[in-house]
Amino acid sequence: MLQVASCRAASRAAFLARSSLVSARQHIQAPWTLNAVCRRGYAEQFSRSKPHMNIGTIGHVDHGKTTLTAAITKVLSQAGGAKFTDYNQIDKAPEEKARGITINSSHVEYETATRHYGHIDCPGHADYIKNMITGAAQMDGAIIVVSAADGQMPQTREHLLLARQVGIKRLVVFINKIDTISDPEMLELVEMEMRELLSTYEFDGENTPIIMGSALSALEGKNNEIGQEKIMELTKACDEWLELPLRDLEKPFLLPIEDVFSISGRGTVATGRVERGIANKGTDVEIIGYGSVKKATLTGIEMFHKELDRAEAGDNMGALLRGIKREELRRGQVLAAPGSIKPAKKFKASLYILTKDEGGRYTPFMQNYRPQCFIRTADITASLTWPEGTADANEKMVMPGDNVEMICDLVFDVALEVGTRFTLREANKTIGTGLVSEIIA
Amino acid sequence: MFRLARQSTSLFCQRSYSTTIPKVPIALVAELRKKTQVSINKAREALTHSNGDIAGAVKWLERDMETSGASKAAKVASRETKEGLVSVSVLSPGAGLTTAGGVRAAMVELNCETDFVGRNELFAKLAQDIAHTAAYISEAKSNGRVSFAPLSLDELRESPLLSHNEPGASPTGTVSSAIRDAIVKVGENISLARASAIVEDAPVSPSQTTQKALRLGSYLHGALHGLSTGRVGALALVNLHSSRLSQIIGQEKFREDLFNLERSLARQIVGFDTLSIRPSPENEVEEQALHNQPFITLAGEFNGLPVPEALAKWSASNGLASDGIEGGVEVVDFLKWKVGGAA
Repeated sequence: MLQVASCRAASRAAFLARSSLVSARQHIQAPWTLNAVCRRGYAEQFSRSKPHMNIGTIGHVDHGKTTLTAAITKVLSQAGGAKFTDYNQIDKAPEEKARGITINSSHVEYETATRHYGHIDCPGHADYIKNMITGAAQMDGAIIVVSAADGQMPQTREHLLLARQVGIKRLVVFINKIDTISDPEMLELVEMEMRELLSTYEFDGENTPIIMGSALSALEGKNNEIGQEKIMELTKACDEWLELPLRDLEKPFLLPIEDVFSISGRGTVATGRVERGIANKGTDVEIIGYGSVKKATLTGIEMFHKELDRAEAGDNMGALLRGIKREELRRGQVLAAPGSIKPAKKFKASLYILTKDEGGRYTPFMQNYRPQCFIRTADITASLTWPEGTADANEKMVMPGDNVEMICDLVFDVALEVGTRFTLREANKTIGTGLVSEIIA
Repeated sequence: MFRLARQSTSLFCQRSYSTTIPKVPIALVAELRKKTQVSINKAREALTHSNGDIAGAVKWLERDMETSGASKAAKVASRETKEGLVSVSVLSPGAGLTTAGGVRAAMVELNCETDFVGRNELFAKLAQDIAHTAAYISEAKSNGRVSFAPLSLDELRESPLLSHNEPGASPTGTVSSAIRDAIVKVGENISLARASAIVEDAPVSPSQTTQKALRLGSYLHGALHGLSTGRVGALALVNLHSSRLSQIIGQEKFREDLFNLERSLARQIVGFDTLSIRPSPENEVEEQALHNQPFITLAGEFNGLPVPEALAKWSASNGLASDGIEGGVEVVDFLKWKVGGAA
């Protein structure tokens, strides 16, 4: 009992630290909250009727990312799907000036016939990786912008590598400034080179939509055939080619256990906040973490001392489990839809190590460092090592502010999957955050 | 690929009976771009001038760089460069271990606009070559003291750029023309922020009576592409002294251990917020002095001991100071740069 209590205290501290670290994260997980804030200024209500997706533009500084963003809002505003955000308004956004903490992802938004998009600009690799790992900004898809006059540049490789590294599977390419090219065959070359490069970085080079146009024409309302029409084609390609991320409600049920009680005459109750999915009374669930997977039936759902038939993502609920003893449950385990998630002890993760100014470590660390790993409600000691085959692994150092890929080895198993976020703590201090990129064992 | 070939042949045919502006086959443009990484428009222009001859186009581009490269560089010159790399080149790590003799090395910082370019191999190679050049052209201080000294950036810019990978190759341009070429290729402003070097007038190999030797350790954090470039870099000047030095410095095992120690010292300086070697009243935190830090970056049995203690034990176990012989190893100076940072 004592142990449980101290565990809770620690994790509360973890939660506090985490929430201050990535306070902007809330906006991303629930894009509508930001709009709720905006509502103070505008009386408009955010409609949730269309699925939401975060999309980013990546490209060279002079290839017209900002013009393209402005052009998209302009063209879509004519259909009522956006508020026109002009070039200088985008560039003036304070977050582009004061970079470093977070990339604000939602200061530009627009709607197509079928989707709602939040638009992210991606100023740099390290910034974006950090935001991706901490959960402050997530790109679900991206538009690579390339100027027809230059073609792809040496750093286009780095742009594609970034997209790869943050887990984007599909891209749309916009070849901009085509009005500066007189020879259509040169455009074909730009396209061909781009498809080749996409394939080199394991994107679908053959089928990736490549749209050629002029963002400036669209913005100025000139040459509709290469301006406005191409922007419409681009947004259509985004709608059709980029895959929507699953929303929490659509995912399989998962409840991280925060506390366990036994109620005489009724049985064992696990409490927690439903992370995702929906559970109906009477469904089967698996109990995962700290040992073998157990099966149980959800015989009752309770919220605020009232019984319910159904619980969904975001609900704080008590789950009454038949056939499970109190001793078989503990904080850190999860209740999950059978077969939807597996326990694991060893995984590869992208880590961001906090700087001293962010409240993190003052000193570097080497491999075999053993911080506490907080995964949902679980608190488990982990050992960090370099992936197999890393050169000079024994002398490789991790400094505060670094983002690295390392192998985490937990002393107990816990429910894990690619994309699970966690924090690393040491002596009651958050020293880093991580994102599972590959399950090993 | 097939498509490419087909198109180019059809283009050639077209050209033979067309008297209007000659078209440039895209296969050639593609080839020239692979070779030189210039923009599509530039590649086309070059091929038009050379009548479709690749070698001629390359020559034309070289000449064109002088004028159009300069104007491109001028166009982006006002843009802020906050990203980039620190690069280190150690031509000789110090006495006795190589025939070259004394210490000779340099560190430079090269800046660009985004870290996309900062992570690109082309940019990293340029930074590496500039560091190599800086180490090469530097001279020992007239007062005989061996320490880090800033290099005149103007002088460095006007020097022929020496290749780090092919030291024998004859230079094709100066540092400043190489920077200009890179600006044209990546389309970002690139600036040389600072350069510093350390040179010892070489006492070649230590004689039987040598009891002292200077050595350099280097480390770069966040190196990519296997080059000696990174976000943070350090050079540590290490002094070895022992009456037995001339004997043990020839042993391979000792040299290997010494190399690891030097590297660990440079790594330690990078890893911690190191501002001084010995405690100084200006340090806000004790651990800003190297001597107050636990030596956590040294692998092996002395890991985690305070730096001076670890060095003393290392000297004893490696024969510099054992069996009543006086000797040891210490850090006498260091240089640590961070991209965009002051120190």
